[in-house]
Amino acid sequence: MELHINPGDELPIYRQIMRQIIDAVAGGRLQAGAQLPSHRELAEQLVIAPLTVKKAYDELERQGLIVTQRGKGTFISERLPDVDPAKRRERLRDAAQRLLSQAALSGVPLADVFGLLEEMQKGMER
Amino acid sequence: MKVIDFSDVHYSYKQGSDVLRGISFSLEAGEVVGLLGKNGAGKTTLMRLAMGMMVTSQGSVQLFGLDPRRDALDVKRRVGYVSEDQVLPEFLSVGEIIRLHRGLFPTWDEGLERRLRERFALSPKAKIKTLSKGQARQVALLCAVAHRPEVLLLDEPAGGLDPSARREFLETSIRLLNEAGTTILFSSHYMSDVERMAGRIAMIHEGRLLIDNSLDDLREKYSLALVPRGSGDRQNQLLGLKECLSVRDQADAIHAIFRCEPERCRSILEKGLDIHNSFCTPIALEDMFIELVGGRS
Repeated sequence: MELHINPGDELPIYRQIMRQIIDAVAGGRLQAGAQLPSHRELAEQLVIAPLTVKKAYDELERQGLIVTQRGKGTFISERLPDVDPAKRRERLRDAAQRLLSQAALSGVPLADVFGLLEEMQKGMER
Repeated sequence: MKVIDFSDVHYSYKQGSDVLRGISFSLEAGEVVGLLGKNGAGKTTLMRLAMGMMVTSQGSVQLFGLDPRRDALDVKRRVGYVSEDQVLPEFLSVGEIIRLHRGLFPTWDEGLERRLRERFALSPKAKIKTLSKGQARQVALLCAVAHRPEVLLLDEPAGGLDPSARREFLETSIRLLNEAGTTILFSSHYMSDVERMAGRIAMIHEGRLLIDNSLDDLREKYSLALVPRGSGDRQNQLLGLKECLSVRDQADAIHAIFRCEPERCRSILEKGLDIHNSFCTPIALEDMFIELVGGRS
Protein backbone atom coordinates (compact mmCIF):
# COMPACT_ATOMS: atom_id res chain seq x y z
CA MET A 1 0.00 0.00 0.00
CA GLU A 2 1.31 3.41 -0.96
CA LEU A 3 0.87 6.24 1.51
CA HIS A 4 1.43 9.88 0.70
CA ILE A 5 1.74 12.68 3.18
CA ASN A 6 1.71 16.39 2.66
CA PRO A 7 3.62 18.19 5.42
CA GLY A 8 2.09 21.59 4.65
CA ASP A 9 -1.49 20.34 4.97
CA GLU A 10 -3.80 21.68 7.66
CA LEU A 11 -4.50 18.10 8.69
CA PRO A 12 -1.82 16.81 11.10
CA ILE A 13 0.44 14.20 9.55
CA TYR A 14 -0.69 11.47 11.94
CA ARG A 15 -4.28 12.10 10.83
CA GLN A 16 -3.27 11.94 7.17
CA ILE A 17 -1.80 8.50 7.82
CA MET A 18 -4.88 7.37 9.75
CA ARG A 19 -7.22 8.59 7.07
CA GLN A 20 -5.35 6.79 4.29
CA ILE A 21 -5.26 3.50 6.17
CA ILE A 22 -8.96 3.79 7.00
CA ASP A 23 -9.72 4.59 3.34
CA ALA A 24 -7.68 1.59 2.19
CA VAL A 25 -9.56 -0.72 4.58
CA ALA A 26 -12.91 0.76 3.58
CA GLY A 27 -12.08 0.37 -0.10
CA GLY A 28 -10.87 -3.22 0.32
CA ARG A 29 -7.28 -2.45 -0.68
CA LEU A 30 -6.21 -3.56 2.78
CA GLN A 31 -7.84 -6.81 3.89
CA ALA A 32 -8.36 -8.06 7.42
CA GLY A 33 -5.16 -9.66 8.64
CA ALA A 34 -2.92 -7.74 6.23
CA GLN A 35 0.39 -6.71 7.77
CA LEU A 36 1.40 -3.07 7.98
CA PRO A 37 5.03 -1.91 7.94
CA SER A 38 6.45 -1.28 11.41
CA HIS A 39 6.18 2.32 12.54
CA ARG A 40 9.93 2.70 12.10
CA GLU A 41 9.86 1.35 8.54
CA LEU A 42 6.99 3.60 7.63
CA ALA A 43 8.75 6.60 9.20
CA GLU A 44 11.80 5.99 7.00
CA GLN A 45 9.66 5.40 3.94
CA LEU A 46 7.68 8.63 4.41
CA VAL A 47 10.66 10.56 5.88
CA ILE A 48 8.78 11.69 8.95
CA ALA A 49 9.40 11.36 12.67
CA PRO A 50 8.83 7.81 13.97
CA LEU A 51 6.75 9.16 16.86
CA THR A 52 4.26 10.59 14.38
CA VAL A 53 3.67 7.18 12.81
CA LYS A 54 3.44 5.65 16.25
CA LYS A 55 0.79 8.16 17.20
CA ALA A 56 -1.26 7.22 14.11
CA TYR A 57 -0.90 3.50 14.85
CA ASP A 58 -1.77 3.96 18.53
CA GLU A 59 -4.89 5.87 17.61
CA LEU A 60 -5.96 3.27 15.02
CA GLU A 61 -5.33 0.55 17.57
CA ARG A 62 -7.43 2.40 20.13
CA GLN A 63 -10.23 2.52 17.57
CA GLY A 64 -9.87 -1.23 17.03
CA LEU A 65 -8.87 -0.99 13.38
CA ILE A 66 -5.42 -2.48 13.78
CA VAL A 67 -3.78 -4.81 16.27
CA THR A 68 -0.16 -5.10 17.28
CA GLN A 69 1.16 -8.52 18.14
CA ARG A 70 4.29 -8.34 20.20
CA GLY A 71 7.29 -9.52 18.21
CA LYS A 72 5.19 -10.18 15.11
CA GLY A 73 4.06 -6.85 13.83
CA THR A 74 1.03 -4.71 13.18
CA PHE A 75 -2.00 -6.05 11.32
CA ILE A 76 -5.41 -4.95 10.12
CA SER A 77 -7.95 -6.27 12.63
CA GLU A 78 -9.65 -9.56 11.79
CA ARG A 79 -12.79 -8.21 13.38
CA LEU A 80 -13.38 -4.63 12.53
CA PRO A 81 -15.00 -2.65 15.32
CA ASP A 82 -18.76 -2.32 15.49
CA VAL A 83 -19.58 1.32 15.56
CA ASP A 84 -22.87 2.39 17.08
CA PRO A 85 -25.07 3.03 13.98
CA ALA A 86 -26.33 6.34 15.35
CA LYS A 87 -22.78 7.51 15.91
CA ARG A 88 -21.78 6.32 12.47
CA ARG A 89 -24.59 8.37 10.93
CA GLU A 90 -23.62 11.39 13.01
CA ARG A 91 -20.03 11.22 11.83
CA LEU A 92 -21.15 10.91 8.23
CA ARG A 93 -23.44 13.89 8.69
CA ASP A 94 -20.44 16.07 9.60
CA ALA A 95 -18.55 14.97 6.52
CA ALA A 96 -21.63 15.48 4.33
CA GLN A 97 -22.16 18.95 5.77
CA ARG A 98 -18.62 19.94 4.84
CA LEU A 99 -19.02 18.48 1.36
CA LEU A 100 -22.27 20.37 0.76
CA SER A 101 -20.83 23.67 2.03
CA GLN A 102 -17.81 23.27 -0.19
CA ALA A 103 -20.02 22.47 -3.18
CA ALA A 104 -22.23 25.49 -2.50
CA LEU A 105 -19.19 27.77 -2.15
CA SER A 106 -17.72 26.59 -5.43
CA GLY A 107 -21.09 26.66 -7.18
CA VAL A 108 -21.15 22.94 -7.98
CA PRO A 109 -24.75 21.72 -8.52
CA LEU A 110 -26.03 18.83 -6.38
CA ALA A 111 -26.30 16.51 -9.40
CA ASP A 112 -22.57 16.91 -10.01
CA VAL A 113 -21.88 16.13 -6.35
CA PHE A 114 -23.78 12.83 -6.72
CA GLY A 115 -21.85 12.12 -9.90
CA LEU A 116 -18.59 12.73 -8.11
CA LEU A 117 -19.57 10.43 -5.23
CA GLU A 118 -20.41 7.62 -7.66
CA GLU A 119 -17.16 8.11 -9.50
CA MET A 120 -15.19 7.96 -6.25
CA GLN A 121 -17.05 4.88 -5.07
CA LYS A 122 -15.95 3.11 -8.25
CA GLY A 123 -12.41 4.31 -7.67
CA MET A 124 -12.42 2.86 -4.15
CA GLU A 125 -13.54 -0.55 -5.32
CA ARG A 126 -10.80 -0.83 -7.85
CA MET B 1 14.07 13.57 32.44
CA LYS B 2 14.91 17.02 31.16
CA VAL B 3 17.74 16.57 28.68
CA ILE B 4 17.95 20.21 27.64
CA ASP B 5 16.65 22.89 29.95
CA PHE B 6 16.51 26.60 29.19
CA SER B 7 15.44 28.50 32.27
CA ASP B 8 14.68 32.22 32.09
CA VAL B 9 17.49 32.70 29.58
CA HIS B 10 18.51 36.27 28.85
CA TYR B 11 21.23 37.31 26.47
CA SER B 12 22.45 40.62 25.14
CA TYR B 13 25.29 41.38 22.78
CA LYS B 14 25.48 44.89 24.08
CA GLN B 15 23.99 46.37 27.20
CA GLY B 16 20.41 47.53 26.97
CA SER B 17 19.44 45.52 23.90
CA ASP B 18 18.46 41.99 24.84
CA VAL B 19 18.27 39.42 22.08
CA LEU B 20 16.71 36.89 24.46
CA ARG B 21 14.43 38.18 27.19
CA GLY B 22 13.53 35.29 29.42
CA ILE B 23 13.24 32.08 27.40
CA SER B 24 12.15 28.97 29.31
CA PHE B 25 11.48 25.57 27.81
CA SER B 26 12.91 22.10 28.04
CA LEU B 27 13.26 18.91 26.02
CA GLU B 28 12.57 15.46 27.41
CA ALA B 29 14.63 12.50 26.22
CA GLY B 30 13.72 11.53 22.66
CA GLU B 31 11.81 14.72 21.93
CA VAL B 32 12.29 16.53 18.63
CA VAL B 33 11.64 20.24 18.87
CA GLY B 34 11.63 22.64 15.92
CA LEU B 35 12.88 26.09 16.83
CA LEU B 36 11.28 28.81 14.72
CA GLY B 37 11.79 32.54 14.52
CA LYS B 38 12.69 35.24 12.05
CA ASN B 39 16.30 35.92 11.18
CA GLY B 40 17.92 37.54 14.17
CA ALA B 41 15.29 36.23 16.60
CA GLY B 42 18.00 34.50 18.62
CA LYS B 43 17.77 30.85 17.47
CA THR B 44 21.50 30.57 16.83
CA THR B 45 22.20 32.31 20.15
CA LEU B 46 20.11 29.71 22.00
CA MET B 47 21.96 26.85 20.29
CA ARG B 48 25.34 28.37 21.05
CA LEU B 49 24.38 28.89 24.68
CA ALA B 50 23.47 25.20 24.83
CA MET B 51 26.85 24.32 23.32
CA GLY B 52 28.62 26.45 25.91
CA MET B 53 30.04 28.68 23.17
CA MET B 54 28.46 31.70 24.87
CA VAL B 55 27.29 32.59 28.39
CA THR B 56 23.80 33.74 29.41
CA SER B 57 23.55 37.23 30.87
CA GLN B 58 20.81 35.92 33.17
CA GLY B 59 19.13 32.56 33.71
CA SER B 60 20.64 29.19 32.97
CA VAL B 61 21.03 26.47 30.35
CA GLN B 62 21.57 22.88 31.39
CA LEU B 63 22.16 19.70 29.42
CA PHE B 64 21.73 16.41 31.27
CA GLY B 65 21.60 18.57 34.40
CA LEU B 66 25.13 19.81 33.65
CA ASP B 67 26.48 23.25 32.90
CA PRO B 68 27.70 23.34 29.28
CA ARG B 69 30.60 25.62 30.24
CA ARG B 70 31.70 24.26 33.58
CA ASP B 71 31.24 20.65 32.49
CA ALA B 72 32.20 21.36 28.89
CA LEU B 73 33.93 18.07 28.15
CA ASP B 74 31.20 15.87 29.65
CA VAL B 75 28.52 17.77 27.79
CA LYS B 76 30.32 17.96 24.42
CA ARG B 77 30.95 14.22 24.39
CA ARG B 78 27.21 13.61 24.56
CA VAL B 79 26.16 16.27 22.04
CA GLY B 80 26.38 16.63 18.27
CA TYR B 81 26.23 20.07 16.67
CA VAL B 82 25.76 21.14 13.06
CA SER B 83 25.28 24.74 12.00
CA GLU B 84 24.89 26.53 8.73
CA ASP B 85 28.02 28.63 9.14
CA GLN B 86 30.20 25.87 10.56
CA VAL B 87 33.67 26.09 9.13
CA LEU B 88 35.75 22.96 8.66
CA PRO B 89 39.51 23.42 8.30
CA GLU B 90 39.97 23.72 4.55
CA PHE B 91 43.45 22.27 4.34
CA LEU B 92 42.46 18.92 5.90
CA SER B 93 41.09 15.94 4.02
CA VAL B 94 37.78 14.26 4.81
CA GLY B 95 39.65 11.29 6.27
CA GLU B 96 41.78 13.50 8.51
CA ILE B 97 38.80 15.36 9.92
CA ILE B 98 36.99 12.11 10.62
CA ARG B 99 40.09 10.67 12.32
CA LEU B 100 40.38 13.78 14.46
CA HIS B 101 36.79 13.40 15.68
CA ARG B 102 37.15 9.67 16.16
CA GLY B 103 39.99 10.33 18.59
CA LEU B 104 37.96 12.84 20.59
CA PHE B 105 34.94 10.64 21.26
CA PRO B 106 35.18 7.38 23.22
CA THR B 107 31.73 6.32 21.96
CA TRP B 108 32.62 6.69 18.25
CA ASP B 109 30.76 4.11 16.12
CA GLU B 110 32.98 3.05 13.22
CA GLY B 111 30.18 1.09 11.58
CA LEU B 112 27.96 4.15 11.48
CA GLU B 113 30.88 6.25 10.24
CA ARG B 114 31.46 3.83 7.36
CA ARG B 115 27.77 3.65 6.50
CA LEU B 116 27.39 7.41 6.35
CA ARG B 117 30.61 7.84 4.38
CA GLU B 118 29.33 5.38 1.80
CA ARG B 119 25.86 6.83 1.78
CA PHE B 120 27.17 10.35 1.22
CA ALA B 121 29.80 9.02 -1.22
CA LEU B 122 32.58 10.92 0.57
CA SER B 123 36.11 10.15 -0.53
CA PRO B 124 38.51 10.18 2.48
CA LYS B 125 41.26 11.68 0.35
CA ALA B 126 39.24 14.68 -0.82
CA LYS B 127 40.37 17.99 0.65
CA ILE B 128 37.66 20.00 2.37
CA LYS B 129 38.25 23.00 0.13
CA THR B 130 37.37 20.95 -2.97
CA LEU B 131 33.98 19.88 -1.56
CA SER B 132 30.64 21.39 -2.50
CA LYS B 133 28.60 23.10 0.20
CA GLY B 134 26.35 20.06 0.46
CA GLN B 135 29.24 17.63 0.79
CA ALA B 136 30.91 19.77 3.46
CA ARG B 137 27.66 19.80 5.44
CA GLN B 138 27.52 16.03 5.12
CA VAL B 139 31.02 15.74 6.57
CA ALA B 140 29.89 17.99 9.43
CA LEU B 141 26.81 15.82 9.98
CA LEU B 142 28.87 12.65 9.97
CA CYS B 143 31.23 14.12 12.57
CA ALA B 144 28.28 15.31 14.64
CA VAL B 145 26.49 11.97 14.79
CA ALA B 146 29.04 9.14 14.53
CA HIS B 147 29.73 9.23 18.27
CA ARG B 148 26.02 8.54 18.72
CA PRO B 149 25.26 11.62 20.77
CA GLU B 150 22.24 11.70 23.05
CA VAL B 151 21.48 15.22 21.90
CA LEU B 152 21.67 16.80 18.45
CA LEU B 153 21.67 20.57 18.04
CA LEU B 154 21.00 21.39 14.41
CA ASP B 155 21.12 25.06 13.58
CA GLU B 156 19.68 25.61 10.13
CA PRO B 157 21.41 22.40 9.00
CA ALA B 158 19.85 22.40 5.55
CA GLY B 159 20.57 26.05 4.78
CA GLY B 160 22.07 26.40 1.32
CA LEU B 161 21.62 22.75 0.43
CA ASP B 162 19.86 21.65 -2.74
CA PRO B 163 16.60 19.68 -2.39
CA SER B 164 18.21 16.26 -2.78
CA ALA B 165 20.97 16.97 -0.23
CA ARG B 166 18.30 18.31 2.13
CA ARG B 167 16.26 15.16 1.73
CA GLU B 168 19.35 13.03 2.32
CA PHE B 169 20.00 14.98 5.50
CA LEU B 170 16.42 14.44 6.69
CA GLU B 171 16.50 10.74 5.89
CA THR B 172 19.71 10.32 7.87
CA SER B 173 18.23 12.19 10.82
CA ILE B 174 15.06 10.05 10.76
CA ARG B 175 17.17 6.92 10.66
CA LEU B 176 19.14 8.09 13.70
CA LEU B 177 15.90 8.85 15.52
CA ASN B 178 14.74 5.33 14.72
CA GLU B 179 17.93 3.71 15.91
CA ALA B 180 18.70 5.73 19.00
CA GLY B 181 15.81 7.97 19.98
CA THR B 182 18.12 10.98 19.90
CA THR B 183 16.84 14.20 21.45
CA ILE B 184 16.92 16.88 18.76
CA LEU B 185 16.61 20.66 18.83
CA PHE B 186 16.73 22.10 15.34
CA SER B 187 15.98 25.29 13.53
CA SER B 188 15.06 25.57 9.89
CA HIS B 189 13.41 27.97 7.51
CA TYR B 190 12.03 25.00 5.61
CA MET B 191 8.63 24.53 7.24
CA SER B 192 8.03 21.21 5.52
CA ASP B 193 11.25 19.84 7.05
CA VAL B 194 10.16 21.06 10.47
CA GLU B 195 6.77 19.43 9.99
CA ARG B 196 8.34 16.14 9.01
CA MET B 197 10.76 15.99 11.93
CA ALA B 198 9.36 17.87 14.88
CA GLY B 199 6.86 16.76 17.47
CA ARG B 200 6.87 20.13 19.12
CA ILE B 201 7.36 23.73 18.02
CA ALA B 202 9.05 26.50 19.97
CA MET B 203 8.62 29.87 18.28
CA ILE B 204 10.62 32.84 19.49
CA HIS B 205 9.83 36.42 18.66
CA GLU B 206 11.21 39.63 20.08
CA GLY B 207 13.25 37.71 22.60
CA ARG B 208 10.36 35.75 24.04
CA LEU B 209 8.81 32.35 23.55
CA LEU B 210 5.60 33.00 21.63
CA ILE B 211 4.56 29.37 21.10
CA ASP B 212 5.54 26.15 22.80
CA ASN B 213 3.14 23.46 21.63
CA SER B 214 2.95 20.10 19.97
CA LEU B 215 2.72 20.39 16.20
CA ASP B 216 -0.55 18.44 16.19
CA ASP B 217 -2.07 20.82 18.73
CA LEU B 218 -1.08 23.78 16.58
CA ARG B 219 -3.08 22.25 13.76
CA GLU B 220 -6.04 21.04 15.77
CA LYS B 221 -6.36 23.54 18.59
CA TYR B 222 -5.51 26.83 16.90
CA SER B 223 -7.40 28.73 14.26
CA LEU B 224 -7.24 31.72 11.99
CA ALA B 225 -10.24 34.04 12.04
CA LEU B 226 -10.86 36.45 9.20
CA VAL B 227 -12.92 39.25 10.71
CA PRO B 228 -14.37 42.04 8.56
CA ARG B 229 -13.41 45.51 9.69
CA GLY B 230 -16.36 46.90 11.62
CA SER B 231 -17.16 49.88 13.71
CA GLY B 232 -14.93 50.74 16.64
CA ASP B 233 -11.49 49.45 17.41
CA ARG B 234 -11.89 45.86 16.29
CA GLN B 235 -8.21 45.02 16.70
CA ASN B 236 -8.19 45.89 20.37
CA GLN B 237 -11.55 44.26 20.94
CA LEU B 238 -10.12 41.07 19.49
CA LEU B 239 -6.93 41.30 21.52
CA GLY B 240 -9.11 41.69 24.60
CA LEU B 241 -10.36 38.12 24.15
CA LYS B 242 -8.22 35.77 26.17
CA GLU B 243 -8.07 33.17 23.37
CA CYS B 244 -6.79 35.71 20.84
CA LEU B 245 -3.04 35.50 20.35
CA SER B 246 -2.41 38.10 17.66
CA VAL B 247 -4.15 40.34 15.17
CA ARG B 248 -3.02 41.69 11.87
CA ASP B 249 -4.79 44.22 9.69
CA GLN B 250 -4.72 42.91 6.16
CA ALA B 251 -6.24 44.14 2.93
CA ASP B 252 -9.08 41.62 2.92
CA ALA B 253 -9.94 41.61 6.63
CA ILE B 254 -8.47 41.52 10.09
CA HIS B 255 -6.55 38.29 10.59
CA ALA B 256 -6.60 36.95 14.14
CA ILE B 257 -4.98 33.83 15.55
CA PHE B 258 -7.01 32.06 18.22
CA ARG B 259 -5.89 29.49 20.73
CA CYS B 260 -8.90 27.21 20.15
CA GLU B 261 -10.49 25.17 17.36
CA PRO B 262 -12.44 26.97 14.58
CA GLU B 263 -15.90 26.02 15.88
CA ARG B 264 -15.19 27.54 19.26
CA CYS B 265 -13.49 30.51 17.71
CA ARG B 266 -16.66 31.29 15.75
CA SER B 267 -18.83 31.04 18.84
CA ILE B 268 -16.49 33.22 20.90
CA LEU B 269 -16.66 35.90 18.22
CA GLU B 270 -20.46 35.66 18.11
CA LYS B 271 -21.02 35.70 21.85
CA GLY B 272 -18.16 37.94 22.87
CA LEU B 273 -18.13 40.60 20.17
CA ASP B 274 -21.41 40.02 18.34
CA ILE B 275 -19.50 39.31 15.14
CA HIS B 276 -21.51 36.97 12.93
CA ASN B 277 -19.69 37.19 9.63
CA SER B 278 -16.26 35.89 10.55
CA PHE B 279 -14.56 33.01 8.76
CA CYS B 280 -12.66 30.63 11.06
CA THR B 281 -10.37 27.92 9.78
CA PRO B 282 -7.54 25.64 10.87
CA ILE B 283 -4.14 27.00 9.95
CA ALA B 284 -0.98 25.44 8.55
CA LEU B 285 2.34 26.02 10.31
CA GLU B 286 3.77 28.28 7.64
CA ASP B 287 0.73 30.58 7.70
CA MET B 288 0.75 30.59 11.48
CA PHE B 289 4.40 31.64 11.45
CA ILE B 290 3.67 34.51 9.08
CA GLU B 291 0.60 35.61 11.03
CA LEU B 292 2.41 35.54 14.36
CA VAL B 293 5.83 36.94 13.66
CA GLY B 294 4.96 38.90 10.55
CA GLY B 295 2.02 40.56 12.30
CA ARG B 296 3.89 42.40 14.97
CA SER B 297 6.86 44.52 14.14
